Order: sequence, then structure tokens, then C-alpha cells
Amino acid sequence: MNKTLKWSNIYLVVVFAILYAPIVYLMVYSFNSGGTMHSFEGFTLEWYSEVFSDTRLLIIVLNTFVIALLSAAISTILGVIGALAIRHVRRRHSRNALMSFNNVLIVSPDVIIGASFLILFTMIGIRLGFTSVLLSHIAFSVPIVVLMVLPKLQEMSPSLIDAARDLGASSFDVLTKVVLPFIKPGIFAGFFMALTYSLDDFAVTFFVTGNGFSTLSVEIYSRARQGVSLSINALSTLLFLFTIVLVIGYYFINRRNSRPAAKEGGR
Amino acid sequence: MKQLIRTFSIVFLVAFALMYLTSYLNKSQGYSGGNTLTIYNWGDYIDPELIEQFEEESGMKVIYQTFDSNEAMMTKIAQGGTTFDVSVPSEYAISKMKEEDLLLPIDHAKLPNLKHIDDRFLDLSFDPDNRYSIPYFWGTVGIVFNPELLDGWQLTSWNDLWDPRLRNQILLVDGAREVMGFGLNSLHYSLNDTNEEHLQEAKRKLGELTPNVKAIVGDEIKMLLAGEEAAVGVVWSGDASEIMDENDKLDYVVPEEGSNLWFDNMVIPKTARNIDGAHAFINFMLDPEHAAQNAEYVGYSTPNKDALALLPEEISGDTRFYPEDAVTEKLEVYDNLGKRMLSHYNELFLEFKMHKK
Repeated sequence: MNKTLKWSNIYLVVVFAILYAPIVYLMVYSFNSGGTMHSFEGFTLEWYSEVFSDTRLLIIVLNTFVIALLSAAISTILGVIGALAIRHVRRRHSRNALMSFNNVLIVSPDVIIGASFLILFTMIGIRLGFTSVLLSHIAFSVPIVVLMVLPKLQEMSPSLIDAARDLGASSFDVLTKVVLPFIKPGIFAGFFMALTYSLDDFAVTFFVTGNGFSTLSVEIYSRARQGVSLSINALSTLLFLFTIVLVIGYYFINRRNSRPAAKEGGR
Repeated sequence: MKQLIRTFSIVFLVAFALMYLTSYLNKSQGYSGGNTLTIYNWGDYIDPELIEQFEEESGMKVIYQTFDSNEAMMTKIAQGGTTFDVSVPSEYAISKMKEEDLLLPIDHAKLPNLKHIDDRFLDLSFDPDNRYSIPYFWGTVGIVFNPELLDGWQLTSWNDLWDPRLRNQILLVDGAREVMGFGLNSLHYSLNDTNEEHLQEAKRKLGELTPNVKAIVGDEIKMLLAGEEAAVGVVWSGDASEIMDENDKLDYVVPEEGSNLWFDNMVIPKTARNIDGAHAFINFMLDPEHAAQNAEYVGYSTPNKDALALLPEEISGDTRFYPEDAVTEKLEVYDNLGKRMLSHYNELFLEFKMHKK
């Protein structure tokens, strides 16, 4: 017993080391005064001050977050409505067909989606920029939200709704007081998935940016030709710490919320 | 339900607050007015101070966007939907864009500083009379080598590559014109040669090179050479200067048999809105002082002869990047060989690559 525990611990350590080593490596070199990733020469905060003095880079970072938050929120709303609608379809065949259409969009390559958006937007005359990036991010996030919400809906017993109706609830009450609270975890999962998808998407965004509007992934990629400057390391370090803070915050909120529920369960 | 509404309200609020902050930053930078100039350039290919200086002098605001390959840039411009006022493609891309009608002619009367450009770099085959493009930077194709790994051997010619001492030591860029080009050059033929016999001869000669070739690679060639994974590499001079920045043991040579001369030129795409601004910017970059400052920052070779005079001796006297006339005379620009000949070159290069295994 003790022995297996040891092995599993070693395994865990190795896995986490592999996962975090590149990030640690990148973070360490963000303090390198040498200017390259080859050898560490000395400690400096020069790259951090460079990040904060580069207004163009800061605007791009803000753009990235605005797009991520807006597209994730909007696509969550659309996705939940879509999942409810799919759930509503009575015939098994048509429901499966709708699900398959949803899944096709998830597995189709980003490059294809990006190229088709580029052609579509230029054809109907939408100028490439904020709107085009937002629209395409919403579009590729909706299927993900649907996929996260549907299982929760299927888990829900129909008798819950019947009971609510028997007690005199209107359709609106059923939706807001029974269905939505039940699928809440799915909604949040969908929202966060959409958020991360939008934050790191390169392939689609690359095609639809333009007119001075750019996101972080596209900017870093085009800088890579000349060798990535260490200020990108500094920026990545800041973003990584920011997400860590978010995750910790999420953890504490969750713990606070789940405590009373555990008491009610009597365990 | 309450929690959902609260969370999403917060998300929207934060998003709009960030949006406000962005537009505030944009405004404080002056990007809001109609008087903007959009430049589409390679990443890190201009001294940022020059952009600020141009903004001060002209009163225009510059929106600077970057691309990483000619092909990506051409796709964006061909699709429309964007308003790039100035772009900087390489010479083969310029002739392609000309064919596809993607460029606006340049009004030389608006470019008084054009007189500073060296005559050698004007009126070339890819753009006669410089109707559509103005030289920005130029360079060569040559050999990067590591004397330390070669016992101090200084390579000087393409034919040195066939030396048995270099067994499994050469990295090549994955470009049909570059590799076929030095094959032809090593036989003292033109790298625009279309004579079938000469081409076959070059291909046979390249076939004999295969034991020496370690790999044919893309952009990672810079990293591999700087990391001393191989002793010799055939690269563009721009890449060479970056490699040498990272590892100063390496050296670069333009082979004596002759080589390719490449250009990155400024053009005005047909999507341009601010055409006067584009001319003003091109003229600004042609000013000798600005061109010299830019050359010092970017590290590529400037075509501006008056800027060259302003550069410190250690840069302008570096014959690796500003070769002497005897070498320059043998340099050739790629002609547009036409689709059929180009695919023939590609085919021969492909056969060479297949022989490698």
C-alpha cells in the first residue's frame, strides 16, 4: 500500500514538472539582463518596464481581454439558448442531427474556419477589426458552450419540471427557478472554456484582424520572426500570475458556496 | 439565477470598462482622428523612434501592423477589408502583386529624397523604373560558417561546400530558387538560367552534395546555427546578421562565384486610403539620416548611398554586408521566370530533396 502511494507521488511530481518546466523557464528568463534565452547573465526588471512603456502592446493586451470577456459572455447566452432548443426537439433523429452539426464545428480545423470568415466578412463588407474578431470568436465558442450545457440538461430528471408545473409554476418560472439553477455548473464551465478558447486562439484571429486591431497571439507570432524579445517573457509572466490569481479566487468562491450545501446534505 | 445574472453583469461591466480604457489609451496616443497612416511591415523591421519622429513631423498618427511572410501579407491585401497605406514585400512578391493588380503606382515627384538611393538598386527587372516600389533594405544569399568547428577554415566560395571535410555539416534553407541558384552559381551559370542542360548539370552537381547536407530546414536554421548544431549554413544575409548577433563565433561570406541579391521594397497597396501620407512616409524613410538610423537599428543593408556615408565605419566597412564592387557585380536579382519555369525549378529541387534520403 505504502509502496504504490510512493510511486504515484513520483509520477505526479514528474507530470507536474513537465507541465510547469517551460513556464518556469520562461519566467526565469524574463529577469535576464542578457537579452537572449541562451544564458542567464544577471537580474533586471528592464523587460517589465519595457512592457509598461509600450502602449501599443498594452492596448493589444486590453483588446485581447475585451474580446475574450465579451465573446465568452455572449456565446454563453447564445449557447444556453441553443442547448435548451436542442433539448426541446422531440424527435430523436433530428436531435442527433443537430448535435452532430454542433460537433462538426468543434472538430473542424481553425484554419478553415478562419479562412471562411475572412471570405465571408470581405464579401458582405464588414471591415476587418474589432467587430470581425468578436463575431468570429462568438461563432467558434457557441458550440463549445452547447457541448458543456447539454449533458447537464440531459442529467436533469423530467419529473423535476413536472413537479414544478404541478405546483403552479409558469414556463418562465420553470426556466429561471428550476432549469437554469440546475445547469449552472455547465453554464460556468462553458463560459470559462469559451474564455480560454478566445484568449489563446491564433488561427482564426489571424485571418480576421486588421486596421490596427490585433490580439496578443497574432502580435507575438509576427514578432517571432526576429526572435521573441524578453519583454514578451515579462508579459507572459504577468498574464500567468494573473490567471493564477483568478483560479485561486474561483477556488475560494466555490468553497464558500459549497459549504452550506454540504451542511444541508447532512454529511 | 441571481448568481448567473450577477456574474454576467460583472463580466459585461469589466469588458466595457476595459473597452473604455483602451479607447482612452488610443485617444491619448492620438489614434482617434481621421488623419492616420497604416503601415504593414515585417515584425521589428523599423526603429520605433522613427515612427514617433514621423508622427511629430507630419502630424499624422501611425498604426503599425506586422506580418511574418510575404504570402500572409498578400492574402490580407488581396482580400481587401483592410486599409494598409504602406507595405514592405520582397522582390518576388512585388512582381506577383503587380501581376495581380494589387499595387498603386508611386508618384516620384512626391519623393525628392529618392535621389539618395544608389543607382545600382534602381530600375531592376522585378520593377522597371520603380513604378511601384522603392528600396527599403537589401541583402544577399551566402554562407554562414563556424571557423571554430572547422579548425579555422575560412570558406570563400560555393565550391567549398562540396569539400569532403564538411560531411554531414551543412544546413540549407528550404527554398528552390536559393538552392538551385547556388547550384548554378557554383558552375558559373546565372541563377536565372533557363537552359535545360545547365539546369540538369546543376541538379547532378547538387546530387553530389547530399553526403554533406545535414538537413534542409525552415526558419529554425537560425537557432540551429547559433546553437552550433552544424558548422555551415546557406542563408540570407538578414538571417546571417541575426545569427551572428546571437553567436559571435560565426562568420558570413558572399561566395566569389556570385549570388542572389534580394530586396524588401516599400509599396503602396491598392487598399491605401491615405496616399499622400504614404508618399510622405516613404520620403521620410528615404532621408539619409533616417535611413542610417533605421539601418543601425535593424541591422540589414541600406540601399541609401548617402545614409551609408553617415553610418559608422564598422557597419559600412563590413564587406560581409556591404560587399566590394567586384562581388556586387556578380550579384543577380531573381527574374520572374514565369510559372512553368518556376515549377520546373521546384521539381528539380524536390528531386534533390528526395535523393537526400
